[in-house]
Formats: sequence, structure tokens, C-alpha cells
Amino acid sequence: MSPRVLFVHRAFPAQFGRLAAELTRRYGWRCHFLVEHLSHCPPPSQEMLRELDVRVWPRPAARRPDAQTPWPQIHAQALECARAVFDAVRDRPELRPDLVVGHGGLVPTLLLRDLLDCPLVDYCEYYFAPRGRDLTYRLDLPAVEPALFFPRCINAATLMNLNACDAGYTPTHWQRQSFPERFRGKIEVHPDGIDTELYRPRRPPPSLAAHGVPDGARVVTFVARGLESVRGFDLFMGLAARIRAARPDVYFVAVGGETTHYGWDPIFTGGRTFKEWVLSRHGGDLSAFTFLGMVDPAVLADVLARSALHVYLSVPFVASWSLLNALSAGCVVLAGDTEPVREMIEPGRHGLLAPLFDADELTRLALAVLDDPAAHAPLGEGGRRLVEEKYSVEVAVPALKEFFERAAK
Amino acid sequence: MAEDPLWLLCVEPHFPGRLGATADWLVRRRGYRCRFYCANADPAAFWPPSTGRALEVVQFQVGGVARESAVSWMRSLERSLCYAYGCFEVLDARRPRPVDLVLGRSATLGSTLFAPVALPGAPVVNLFDYWMAPHANDLVDDIGPGAPTEYFHWRRTAGAYDLLELESVAAAWTHTAWQRDLFPPEYRDAFHVLHDGVDAATFAAPRPRVVAGRAVPDDVRVVTFVSRCLDQLRGFDRFMSLANRLLAERRDLLFLVVGDPVVRRALDVRYHGQDYRQVVLGREPPADESRFWFLGAVPPATVAEALAVSDLHVYPGRPYPVARSLLEAMAAGRTVLAWDAEPVREVITHDRSGLLMKAGDPDEAVRLALRVLDDPAAHRPLGAAAAEVVRERYDRDVTLPRLAAWLSRVAGGGA
Repeated sequence: MSPRVLFVHRAFPAQFGRLAAELTRRYGWRCHFLVEHLSHCPPPSQEMLRELDVRVWPRPAARRPDAQTPWPQIHAQALECARAVFDAVRDRPELRPDLVVGHGGLVPTLLLRDLLDCPLVDYCEYYFAPRGRDLTYRLDLPAVEPALFFPRCINAATLMNLNACDAGYTPTHWQRQSFPERFRGKIEVHPDGIDTELYRPRRPPPSLAAHGVPDGARVVTFVARGLESVRGFDLFMGLAARIRAARPDVYFVAVGGETTHYGWDPIFTGGRTFKEWVLSRHGGDLSAFTFLGMVDPAVLADVLARSALHVYLSVPFVASWSLLNALSAGCVVLAGDTEPVREMIEPGRHGLLAPLFDADELTRLALAVLDDPAAHAPLGEGGRRLVEEKYSVEVAVPALKEFFERAAK
Repeated sequence: MAEDPLWLLCVEPHFPGRLGATADWLVRRRGYRCRFYCANADPAAFWPPSTGRALEVVQFQVGGVARESAVSWMRSLERSLCYAYGCFEVLDARRPRPVDLVLGRSATLGSTLFAPVALPGAPVVNLFDYWMAPHANDLVDDIGPGAPTEYFHWRRTAGAYDLLELESVAAAWTHTAWQRDLFPPEYRDAFHVLHDGVDAATFAAPRPRVVAGRAVPDDVRVVTFVSRCLDQLRGFDRFMSLANRLLAERRDLLFLVVGDPVVRRALDVRYHGQDYRQVVLGREPPADESRFWFLGAVPPATVAEALAVSDLHVYPGRPYPVARSLLEAMAAGRTVLAWDAEPVREVITHDRSGLLMKAGDPDEAVRLALRVLDDPAAHRPLGAAAAEVVRERYDRDVTLPRLAAWLSRVAGGGA
């Protein structure tokens, strides 16, 4: 009998949807989902929804939107999710999974110990640092009060579940290193798996004229789930202004919603979105910019395939899928030189790195790429090879299957 | 580099709590200076001697959910954060300097988590008492059957704040090996295990047969029960049941009962905030009221008076960190009858330094208690051995010099 896995997450498909679809298609595994909502970034495909058993637990009507929840109450929100999962599993006694795989930092699964007699695998996405990394890295931006406190308690659910789980996994070595040393022995490194078929180099590149991007223009791309400070949207805009001043014919495409997912941008922006705040200070001509908002994966693949230079200026934090998507698409990537990026990109081989706040160096490298794409094409090819060899669905899924099998024993 | 005597900053929700006695000893015996930050303080009669002198008590306010009398299991961490934040606010406003070391204890609430924000250079040591297992120890066998699901949700998640503190402190401290081994295996090696001890000399000193101003008749055998509060966790229900059965066998008994009748530990979700003494007495009225002296919550000197006249000290608690009163009774050389549990076994060896009986065997409790009461003299070697155990392992003058040496190492950057 093929294994039955219960995936638990706040969103679907997030990190598990594609994985579960592959486990089902390739190996006949039976995959069930308990989630709080269907995601917009990326949204689930109809195929996934058809093939997988996805149940959405009812979100309490009285609950505030996440962004409005005071930081001391965020843990209670996670426990509320944990209880919802408990109730949902209790109400489906026929489910009887062989394995539970959950994102414990968002939805602790430990309550299921009182219902299920099967191993719990924890997706250990990240362990926040009290300072100097991730949420508190941007010392160049106005200080906000929660930065002093929230990072000291943000890991509560993560720690709780990490203690309770039988095994954990995380997508990169840097993410694993973010966890306290005492837990690292419990955490394996398994990439999520990038869709190298969707995100592939295309010759000729697709047209983005429908999105206002002139055919033939040299295009610089920036992608993040949210155009926020942690992902360096302001740094991108600063770099874009410098590039634009030097090469007026370059065009810029930014993909991402206007929600701040990490940190407290709205506090110092006075309630405006970070994008609005940045653009109000940008002061330059935005005629060469297209802001696409959140897009479907197919559109994102077009954008990346059209990119002459992809810019990634995130603070030291979980590397965005967009970085790997861009590498997979054969983009020449210029990224801020941070540890999580360096784990993926060897400068001069898979892309280019410059200190995150060194605008001069970033500009110099960007112009060099834009001025001589052919000379930098090997970087894009190297990036593509890197993803094919280490981060693709083809590589990740069999390894995760084997890991889950070991965990389920 | 910090040097002895240190400037210590203690943080605990209540004063003197558990750290008060330690701070007092360090101040009086080692010349430490101590500021003690707390949200609430017991009446002055319970304060240690150096309070108001080298031991300065500073109160902080708590806001938000911490002001509510009870919180849902999902908001336990939030309440702890309110305590930690309340402490931070006063630290930030007063900016106490110098501080060589912060010593905290959260006691299921909160203490030092945000202290490093106000005192970035001071290492933090926290005392961790208890890690609640979902289905073992304390009152779970009593409350668990028939308890709502939320009870177990709470038990599984109540340690979240402790985990945050374990990850943030420079060093973790706990009193016994049993307490250490309750914590997740990943943390056990990180603990410094050392009991804070009891004032053995005070409890060992001979005293007249007078308790709280009342003379204890010479012709009675005295049975004692001492607890911070007369709750189920410490076995007040078991004690009353035993007492009544003993009274049926012997009429010359006097039961001295020390403890606040109101349950203070939130762990007892059924009776928290209630007068548990009334609950038990309603269920099991004393066979002869004149044979019971309920002394209430009394200062340590009165506890010492009670223990000094005890022929049998009964310790019928559920599995939970051993009470100081048990060690105080042992220090006083009393014969102890304790319900057998792992934490007690770390302190008492059956038939050598006390008597242990299997929980759930009330007949055996009666038999052993009568054996002692019928011939106290024959059992004095047990009390003498118990006093020796305390002198060697649990006397403050033995344990706290070791603690001071360790704190100095931590303050100096080692652990």
C-alpha cells in the first residue's frame, strides 16, 4: 500500500503542493492537505486541486488579518491554527496518515500527537535571529519598536514543534545553520524543487509588450512576493535610477504584491505600502518601469525569460524562490552578497555578487552585463546548470521521497 | 571582567519567590548587591532579612492579557511576554547600573526575555523549575481523565516561553536532576544542576514546644503537613484522608497544617484561586477538629517551630519538584513519610533517610505512619540520616557557595 501523507500548512500550494503532486504522480502516494487558505503566490493549479485532497479549515471570523495582529499575539494565532488542524483531523478518523509533514513555524502540528500514532516531519523553514540578520538587518531604515522585541519571541512555535517532531528538513544549508546547533542533527537539507520546465531559457525570448514592455528593450527584472524592505525593493529602485541615468534605454520590470510579509515597513511609512513610500522618495521618471503586481507562474516565467539582468537584493534571509526561478530561466543574476545567496551562487560562475549596500559596485556590474550580454551569457548558463543539478524538481522529489520513507519507518 | 561580589539583578514575577532567599544569602554572606524586579510582593513578614538594604525590591507593572485572572491556553505565551515587557519597561526607565549578571525565574509567567534589550552587556541566567509533560507528572492523573481537549493542548504548548528563554540565556539552572530530565533532551546538557538549598541551621535548632504562640501539649504525637498552599499538587487531600484514618487508630495525635488555603498554582486548573482546604474539608471533615491546627501561610520561623515538634512529617505530593518544606523537615531531623515518586527518590532513600510508600496504597500509608507514631524513638535514625543528607547536599551554606562560584564564572563569560 502506498504511503498516505498529511501535509499541513497555512497556505496551499506553498512549499508542499508541487511536491505532493509529484509524489502522487510519480509514486502513487496518497497526499492530503489541511490548509487555512489557497495561496495567491503562487496560486494552485487546477490540476493540483483535482489530484490532491485539499481541505481548508474554517478561519475564525473574529480573527484579525495577519498584518494587523499585534506581535505578542502572533503565537496565539499559530496555536489557533494548530487547534484547527487538530479538530479537522479528529473529525476525519478515516484519514490515518502514515506521516504528517507540516510547516511547524506557521502551524504547529504537535497537538496531533494526541490523535495520531505516526511520525511528524517538520518543515524547518527558518529560525529568526534576535538581531543582525533578516528582520533587523536594515539598520539604514528608520528604527521601529517591535524590532527590539518580536525577533526574541518569533521562534516560539518553531521551537515547540521542533522539539515535538521526529525529523525535520529545510531547503538550504544556510537555513539549517540558522537553527540552534542543538537541533541541527534533526534537520536534513532538501531543496523544495524548482520547475525547470516552466522556468527555462527561451530563444527568442517572449514578448512582454502586452505588459507595456517595449520589444527589443534591455530589461532588468526584480521579483519578490512583496515589494518590501527585507527583499530590498528600495535598493532595487535606487540601483534602477543609477542604471537609468547611465543607460536611458533600459527598461525595468518589478513583480510582486504590495504587502509587507516580513518586518514592519508600514510603521515607518506611516501606513503606506513600502512600494508607495519608496516611489514617493524615488522622485525619478517611472516611464521605464512596469509594476506587474502578483502574477501567475506562467507570466513570471515569461518575465524571467525576457530578462537581461535579474536583480536580487534581499537581506540575509531565506532565499526567495524567485532567485532560483531566475537562475533556472537562465537569467544573468546580480545579487547582494549575503550568506544565503553565496550558498547558491558562486560569483563569476552562476552569477554576480556585490555588497548589498555598495551601490557603486552594483551599478558597475549591472552596466557591464547590460553593455555586453554575450560576454555574461555563460553566467546564465551556469545558473541554469546549477538549478538542474541541485535544485530542480527532478533532483529534489526523489530525495524527499526517500527522506519521508525513512521518517515514516 | 565582573568580579565578586557581583551586582546582581534578579527578575521574578513574585518576591521573594524562589530567588529571594538565594539573593538574600548572596547579599549577606558574599557582599553582593542585588536589585530584585518583581510584579508582586508577598507581605513584609515573608521578606528575607536583607530586603530594603543591599537587596532592593523594584516593582514593575504588567499590562494586557497579564492583567486577566485567567487566560486561554493559546495566550499563555502572550501573558509571559507581558511580564517580560513590563520588566523591560522599568529596566529601560531606571537603567540600573552596574549589572554584572541577570538572574531570572519565570515561574510559568515571564521574566528576563527582554532584559538584554535594556542591559545588552549583562549575561542572563535563568532558573527553570518545571517542564510539563503532556501526560505525566503533577496533577495529570487526577485531572486528565475527563478533562477537555484544551487541557492537553495547554500541557503540550505551555513550554513555549521556556524554550525562548532557554535559547536566549547565557546559562540555564535547575535544582535537581529530575527537573533537568523533564526538559527536552536537546537542552539537558545545557543545565547547571544545583539545588538552592535550605537554611539547615535554622531548622535543625532545638526549640520549645510552642508553635505560633501556642504551646504544644507534651502528651500528643505531632504530625505535620507543610506546603505553600494546601493544594492537591502537594497532596493536601491525601493528607486529610490519612489524618482521619490515623485518628481512628490513635486519639493522641495533633496535626499541624501549614499553608495558604487558597490554591496559587495555575497548574491546578480545577481549583486555582479557590479555597481548596474548604473543598477537602467539605468532602472529608476532620474526625476531630480540635486535633487540627491550621496555621495558614506563615513565615519561615513558624514553619521551623512546627517542624521542630513533629514526630512525623507527611509529604504526600504528586510528582513535582520537591518542596523546600520537605528538605526543611529533613533538616529538622524529622521522620518523613513521603509518597514515592521520582523527584522524592532523588532526596530520600527508603528506610534510610525516610519512608517512601507507593502512591495509591492508603493502607500502606496508615501502616507506616502508625509504625512511626507508635515508636518515634525507634525511627529517629531516619530523621538523623535525613538531616545528614541535608547538611551534606542541601544546606544553603553548601549549595550557595557553589552557586556563587558558578555565577561568577558566567558573569565572567564562562559557564
